[in-house]
Amino acid sequence: MNLQFVFMQLFNGLILGSLYVLLALGLSIIFGMLGIINFAHGAFFMLGAYAAYTITSYIIPDYWLALISVPILMAAFGSLCEIVLFRRLYDLPPLYIMLLTFGLMLVLQDAARLVFGSMGVPFGTPKSLTGMVNLGFMYYPSYRLFLIAVTSCAAFAVWLFLSKTKLGCIIRAGTDNPKMLEALGINISRTMTLVVGLGTGLAGLAGVLAAPIQNVRPLMGMDLLVDCFVVVVIGGMGSLGGSVVGGLIVGQIIAIGVMVWPPMANTLIYLFMAAFLLVRPRGLFGRESFHE
Amino acid sequence: MERKWHAILTACLLSIAFFSLVNTPVVAEPLKISVLTDMSGPYAGITGANVEAAKMAIADFGGKILGNPIEFVYRDHMCKPDVANQKAKELYEKEQVDVIFDCPNSAAGLAVANQAKIHKKPFIAIGSGTTRLSGPDCNRYTFKWAYNDYMLATAVGLWAADNLGKKWYTITADYAWGHDLLHHFSEALKAKGGTLLGNEMVALGTSDFSPYILKAMNAKPEVLVLLNAGKDAVNSTKQAMEFGLKKKVKIVHALLFIEDIKASGDIFAGDYVTGAWYWKSDNPGSKEFVEKWKKQFNKPPNWMNAATYSAVTQYLKAVERAKSKDALPVIKALEGHEFRDLLANPGKIRAEDHMEVGNAYILRAKNPGEIKEDWDFFDIVGVIPPDKAYQNPKDTGCKMDTAE
Repeated sequence: MNLQFVFMQLFNGLILGSLYVLLALGLSIIFGMLGIINFAHGAFFMLGAYAAYTITSYIIPDYWLALISVPILMAAFGSLCEIVLFRRLYDLPPLYIMLLTFGLMLVLQDAARLVFGSMGVPFGTPKSLTGMVNLGFMYYPSYRLFLIAVTSCAAFAVWLFLSKTKLGCIIRAGTDNPKMLEALGINISRTMTLVVGLGTGLAGLAGVLAAPIQNVRPLMGMDLLVDCFVVVVIGGMGSLGGSVVGGLIVGQIIAIGVMVWPPMANTLIYLFMAAFLLVRPRGLFGRESFHE
Repeated sequence: MERKWHAILTACLLSIAFFSLVNTPVVAEPLKISVLTDMSGPYAGITGANVEAAKMAIADFGGKILGNPIEFVYRDHMCKPDVANQKAKELYEKEQVDVIFDCPNSAAGLAVANQAKIHKKPFIAIGSGTTRLSGPDCNRYTFKWAYNDYMLATAVGLWAADNLGKKWYTITADYAWGHDLLHHFSEALKAKGGTLLGNEMVALGTSDFSPYILKAMNAKPEVLVLLNAGKDAVNSTKQAMEFGLKKKVKIVHALLFIEDIKASGDIFAGDYVTGAWYWKSDNPGSKEFVEKWKKQFNKPPNWMNAATYSAVTQYLKAVERAKSKDALPVIKALEGHEFRDLLANPGKIRAEDHMEVGNAYILRAKNPGEIKEDWDFFDIVGVIPPDKAYQNPKDTGCKMDTAE
């Protein structure tokens, strides 16, 4: 095992981690605000990838346009889902809305299969980002570096938005105590719409970014979703910083696992989660109110 | 007196009634054919249309055989062995089918073979590739059609060792099918005196193959063999391209269909794979079948579809030769039969292990510039004859029960 390979692998872990971060951020804020685990999140990610495919193959063959427009489209779609579907179930026990998101996942996956076929569709790396970059100590595909950069920017932007704007402040208060927020006269239902939109938009962005690496398939979200639950649990339910740190940790665990003992790479994260939860049941930055 | 007349008349009438009953011809028993395949699972895009292929074969017989109608049913097993087992039972018992075709997924195929043995009704396996069906797990009622894992690995393996290079690196999907293929590929390489520089076992459904690709790159092989299928094949090849490995080595696949290439653009360009058939072939009846298929589906058939059409056609011809739809006469008509059709030219159903053998084709995926017609994604670059592509029946480990 040479040093170059180790570095490459750590970078690959970062790639995987970046996708986890984007997805887990959305899962986490939706969980904090609505108190539900959104099973449709993986399907939103898949839909983002298909949206990018549709735009680049049928409308305007420009990856950059897709990169900008898909998250916005997906955010609108998520908000619509909230207004039309989720909103009706807030007063019922949380199990109902969880079932709804589960059903939504199945519907979206089958819709993708009906429209685009079960075999998946091709998605090339954008022309300007093909090839490798010399980093001095190794060569690395430029698209992957780009992915890390975009994810970092997106995570930073979400953090800025949540910590420095009034709206972000309302969302953070909402994830903490929605009832109190309502008592203070804040229009909570509008905030809910916004939060689901934001989470879905991030999932859509992850979909656009993942498409050139993995191609686009109806079930592409399923594989990532389960890992994302692990990320959110390790990071701490409803904690945004936890999503970021948890995502990066899980990405690295898989990458290092592959170097050490490949057949166990994907199982390692569950072992890690189990061990971690024994020591810290609420996850890294989880708040006590959720579980303890 | 009158009574006597009455008695005679009644007797006459009764006897007429009785004889007329006896002489009515028995109501015709239809022949019932069934396809059990994956229509909504991971291979749905490849095998789902096998149902249509079987229908076409039946239609070509005018929907009748030996003067009786042919009935057709199909079931979806979603690629799950337990579901396949239960559906096969249902088909043999409740639907009273005379034969089951196809059944992708090796574990599912073995389950159906067992049901065929229990119910003493034929099963003609197409999609399930395991060599066990015509090896240790063979039985009198089970046939294996068009290909098996040994042939997939050996044909392209022998050819690659001769034409592409003798230093190989393998990346293997970590489950029974992958292990099986790895064994057969290694054997082929050994026979040609090549070396296997290394192998990576990769969990099914891994989305990032880049570390394995990097390890392969460090080993500097001449040929990279990807022993996986479907999305794993797509992801591993895509990442080999991304890291520039495709420029340095030739890539050989275990299984690749025209649908895979359609679904993933030009990433497979220049790669090699074994196929049991290609839609540009000029075997007898091939062109007509492709024409019909294109008219109906706007795309050519893949080799699984062609294999299904061939298997159903050959089965119906065996029923005609046996002049009966009963299992044993039909099985006898199939055993040792030699034929030529769209798939196999020539083909033979070996009596020793019930393996249908024909030529194996070495296919090379065309580069984008070479594709003149949509769906014409392969060139046939080599043909491996049946005696090289398939194990000698003595070595398969099959003990065929020949009891009546």
